[in-house]
Amino acid sequence: MSTQAVPGDAAADADDARAFAGRPYPDWFKAKGGGRSRLVSWWVPTVMVGLPILVIVCIVIYPTVWMFYHAFQNTNMMSLFTGNWSPVGWANFATVLSSDRFHASLTHLAIYLTFGACLQVLLGTALALILYEFVRSNVLKTVLLILLVLPMMLPPSIVGVLWKFLLQANNGAVNHLFIALGFLDPTQRIEWLDTDLALWSLTMADTWQWTALPLLIVYSGRVSLPPAIYEAARVDGASRWLVMRRLTLPMLREIIAIAFIIRFMDAYKFVDKVYVMTSGGPAQSSELPVFIAFQKGIREFQIGEAAAYAIIIFVFAAILIVLFLQYLKRVLKAQGL
Amino acid sequence: MGETNFRVVRIVLLAFLAVWLLFTLFPLYFMLVTSLKPVEEINRMVPTFWPESFRPGNYAGIFADPGSLKSLIDSLIVSFSNTALSLFLGTLAGYALARWMRGAVGENLAFFILSNRMFPPVAILIPMFFLFDATPWGTDSYISLILLYLVFNMPLATWLMMVFFRDTPRELEEAAYLDGYTPLRAFFKVTLPLVLPGMISVAMLCWIFAWNEYLFANLLTGSNVKTFPVHIPTFTLGSQTLWNLVMAFSLVAMIPPVTLFIILRRYMVRGLSLGVVKG
Repeated sequence: MSTQAVPGDAAADADDARAFAGRPYPDWFKAKGGGRSRLVSWWVPTVMVGLPILVIVCIVIYPTVWMFYHAFQNTNMMSLFTGNWSPVGWANFATVLSSDRFHASLTHLAIYLTFGACLQVLLGTALALILYEFVRSNVLKTVLLILLVLPMMLPPSIVGVLWKFLLQANNGAVNHLFIALGFLDPTQRIEWLDTDLALWSLTMADTWQWTALPLLIVYSGRVSLPPAIYEAARVDGASRWLVMRRLTLPMLREIIAIAFIIRFMDAYKFVDKVYVMTSGGPAQSSELPVFIAFQKGIREFQIGEAAAYAIIIFVFAAILIVLFLQYLKRVLKAQGL
Repeated sequence: MGETNFRVVRIVLLAFLAVWLLFTLFPLYFMLVTSLKPVEEINRMVPTFWPESFRPGNYAGIFADPGSLKSLIDSLIVSFSNTALSLFLGTLAGYALARWMRGAVGENLAFFILSNRMFPPVAILIPMFFLFDATPWGTDSYISLILLYLVFNMPLATWLMMVFFRDTPRELEEAAYLDGYTPLRAFFKVTLPLVLPGMISVAMLCWIFAWNEYLFANLLTGSNVKTFPVHIPTFTLGSQTLWNLVMAFSLVAMIPPVTLFIILRRYMVRGLSLGVVKG
């Protein structure tokens, strides 16, 4: 940690302001304004922060409000272009919440989040710690880290294309690898992208790609832990297991939590591989709520229903985001940032 | 724990690491092998795990399709413009938030801006689809993609730049003020050089996210503008997918992010963990 600015150090600011008195500075720089003296006029920071806020209002707030409005209208493509939609109250939400398609997609999401996002963080953490603690050579550590992180550098959609190619039932590489290794009878084929397994294949492809992210974060977190503590533990004769359980894991707790949250937020809006690998199929067996919302809006042009989906997703996301940001605030406070 | 016991545990865990490494590398290996195979070999009933005849010419063959080069150029235009815009807005706001808005208001603004990073794009994309349709440049254009990618890149850039600026000592700037620097000069001469490594990593991260983006590009654009993730699945001959070209192009497109990662690993980790891990 380098030295930090002390927030709200009014006395220091006042000193600065006195030091500037009588020097030829532009107007906007001179100390003035309310209870607390400032180095720059109030409008400078306002404009600097205002620009991104303006962008967010245009490309995030406006569309969200639009969606909120249309969630209560019976809009479809025709009525959108002719301009005659009418309010239908909560009908769109009723349709969505009572549809089997939505219920099924919630189950899919639960499976994906448990065996995708959660498992990725656990695996990533385990792999990172194994890599750090048990691989002796530093060069080998770096090389292995880079190799393990390679999948993350591919576009997610291309990972979908790649796994679709590998998992083809008849002449796919995975099935034939299993045959070559003797796990599978030469006449047998696993139908990876069939109704039963499509969602799991999708989850596997995602795990292949994104385990690298928690791995990278936890590994770097472990590297940045102070070696002096480990020296002390070694001098005291603590066993490796004890050091891992009582030192490493507690000190990494916040970093693992952050990795988990980052992964979870990305997983929640996960949709690109669904498009490329399965398109939600076969027979809607691998649809996630976000995917259905897109299909309803962009392919089927049921804007009202799509908006209802989007709002339901938005509400859940908002809750998660608030919880996450509160935790992040705590972590940053603890780090003195 | 006894020493033999420890050795057993170590071997078991290293074996697990090795298995995972094989799981990670096999698809990449097969990608590489497929990219070197001739067309006749890719759709065999039994795939070969080592090419019977090598066709490194596939890598040149990608560019026989004029759309390939254009898709790379499109991707470059979109990703670089978006990165520049994100970084500009992010640096301005990040500096203001870190230096002049350290109270509750600034704190909440910063978290509000960051929250957009985690926002599910589904609520954005459908309205923007119709909104851009009504603008003079239309949906299928560079501007629409550059603007839309700000949804996830600008909040990240703002947040990270704020963290980096908070990390640089304010006292240096104050010393510069006392030497007669204006805030603008102090910013460029004192603070900017200090945050430059962080800024580069933010730029790299934004660039990679924009470079790899598929969803927005697929739904909004496709004919005038076609970025490479949208272009790659279109390598077909009749109903047959030319997997060798698909894989060759994917590997080519993977080179820049991987290179950047190898060089700027430590900074990138900080960005990926929202500034929490110092790397």
